Amino acid sequence: MLTLTNVHKSFGKTVAVDGLSLSVRKGELFGLLGPNGAGKSTSVNLAVGLLNPDAGEIAIEGLGNPATASVRRHIGVAPQAIALYDLLSGEENLRFFGEVYGLSGAALARRVAWCLDFVGLSDRKDDAVGKYSGGMKRRLNLAAALVHDPQLLLLDEPTVGVDPQSRNKIFENIEALHAEGRTIIYTTHYMEEAVRLCERIAIVDSGRLLALGTVTELLATHGGPATLVVNTNGETRRMHTADPLAELKRIAATSAVDAVQMERPTLEQVFLSLTGRSLRD
Amino acid sequence: MNQIIALALKDLRLMPRNKGGMFFTFAWPIVLMVLFGFAFGGNATSGGAQPKMRIAVTDEDHSDASRTFLAGLEASLELTPMTTAEADLAVRLGRRAGYLVVKPGFGAASQRILSGPSKQVELGVDPARQAEAGMIEGLLMKQAGAELLTRFTAQGSSGGEAWQPLKITTRAVARERRGPENAFDVTFPQGIVWGLIGCVMTFGVSLVTERTHGTLVRLRMAPLSRAQILGGKALACFITIMLVEVILLTVAFGFGVRPSSMGILALAGVSAAVCFVGFMMLIASLGKTEQTASGAGWAILMPMSMLGGAMVPQFVMPQWMQTAGMISPIRWVVLAIEGGIWRQFTLNEMVLPCAILISVGIACFAAGTRGLKEA
Repeated sequence: MLTLTNVHKSFGKTVAVDGLSLSVRKGELFGLLGPNGAGKSTSVNLAVGLLNPDAGEIAIEGLGNPATASVRRHIGVAPQAIALYDLLSGEENLRFFGEVYGLSGAALARRVAWCLDFVGLSDRKDDAVGKYSGGMKRRLNLAAALVHDPQLLLLDEPTVGVDPQSRNKIFENIEALHAEGRTIIYTTHYMEEAVRLCERIAIVDSGRLLALGTVTELLATHGGPATLVVNTNGETRRMHTADPLAELKRIAATSAVDAVQMERPTLEQVFLSLTGRSLRD
Repeated sequence: MNQIIALALKDLRLMPRNKGGMFFTFAWPIVLMVLFGFAFGGNATSGGAQPKMRIAVTDEDHSDASRTFLAGLEASLELTPMTTAEADLAVRLGRRAGYLVVKPGFGAASQRILSGPSKQVELGVDPARQAEAGMIEGLLMKQAGAELLTRFTAQGSSGGEAWQPLKITTRAVARERRGPENAFDVTFPQGIVWGLIGCVMTFGVSLVTERTHGTLVRLRMAPLSRAQILGGKALACFITIMLVEVILLTVAFGFGVRPSSMGILALAGVSAAVCFVGFMMLIASLGKTEQTASGAGWAILMPMSMLGGAMVPQFVMPQWMQTAGMISPIRWVVLAIEGGIWRQFTLNEMVLPCAILISVGIACFAAGTRGLKEA
């Protein structure tokens, strides 16, 4: 659906994207995971045609380069910074964005009503957005990306700064959109979100692709062995092992086991093993 | 085009919700126009409820001509006969806007037409009330012009014909140049300028706000070109400016302002709108934040307003300031609007001010869009 081939982008001496190549399949929920400043938002801006790459190619299957306005009509974007008009109501914001994407009349009214209902803001549609909570603004930001019914969605850190209730609502929305068969690119620096939502995850840092695969593949390839935590005679022992069951049997044969715990590798450890630092650094 | 209209409609929806912007665009210019209109003497020639300007008068000629002249002025001015000393004191104490002395020989000079010394009057004014002095001068010239016209008419209808070395039938080809008939004729163009400034600042800062709040980037992610985005903002600004002009004209009409030509006034209004849309784009490109853009906007527009006659009418300024004011586009806005109100400009006479305004508008628009592109 979306292909980036050896894309480079620099701002002055700062290299934001460094030879990024990846291909997002149609209908896939694809995660772009990396710390702040990893180049995720720049990659989104390149994918949506807001920026032109210094080198490399970006293409949307069957449509072409997103730098062309007519191609952008098929893309929905929820930028990281909430981009809404505070003095307009929720409904007016959606109507405006719908008109910008060429909708009008009954089709526009229908899509606006659907989007408001979808993100759970129908009862607040007439309120000025300036009066919305942060979570409600995030949900409306998502709705504004959906109003023209795009098949490709780019969601740039859509849960930043929202309360748990709104976060769950956004997760449900994204899962529902995925179930409808839309292609979604989801950028985040929250490992848990990527694990929960994404089928495949690209881990990026310093503008480069470090690893790409399903969560299971990434953990198997880069996560290292599981950690077995065993408490025997008041002493806690931590062991990295590829076969925790065999290791546990060996310990139990020689001493009484009071408590046992298994720590599976996480994407945090994957990132640590790939970069030598934490995702949250 | 539909997308440009959608963008413009969005801004027109936002405009009334920006209470500060609404006040400075619509209310403040009306306040200034009315307040200064009354301060400058109000509707001096309406003959209605508006008070007349009060001046002292000393007739040193005591001729029929001087009495007729003063009687004609009473329609526009409240005249109080005084001695020259009393008149001088009355002006010094601020009790009268000025004094008028009809000099000896006024009547004799009135008998001559187009030859010999001119009729003479002396006008004493308080230097601090130059605007009223300008008004009085306009009324004096108007009265003198009316008398001249009457004399021509009277000669033609007298029946007897004096010997003339060469009989020449003259036809007036020069139009009568009116002065402003009341103070609101002067303050209406100034009010328009303040309305345009309010409009420009509101829309210029709103464009910066779009940038700082991320909506400009969001729009660029949509299937819109940069030209469409800026075109939508420009269209909304243009429509609002035209609305400001229509509202202010309606208010001014209530205060006795009567355009000499609606067509010329409309041309002036459109040219001013083009110019100020360009300013809007330039101001939006001057700052990365609302505060810097606003500061830069006022820093540019205030001196231009001062020099251009938006604060104090140009005719009361020293000559050097009037000359310096030529570089201010606001001077040309005021001139063009006055051309449609009381200067009775022809289409040809409107070419220069309108061409200047449109050129400045286009240049500022180009510089502004370039600046926004680089920002």
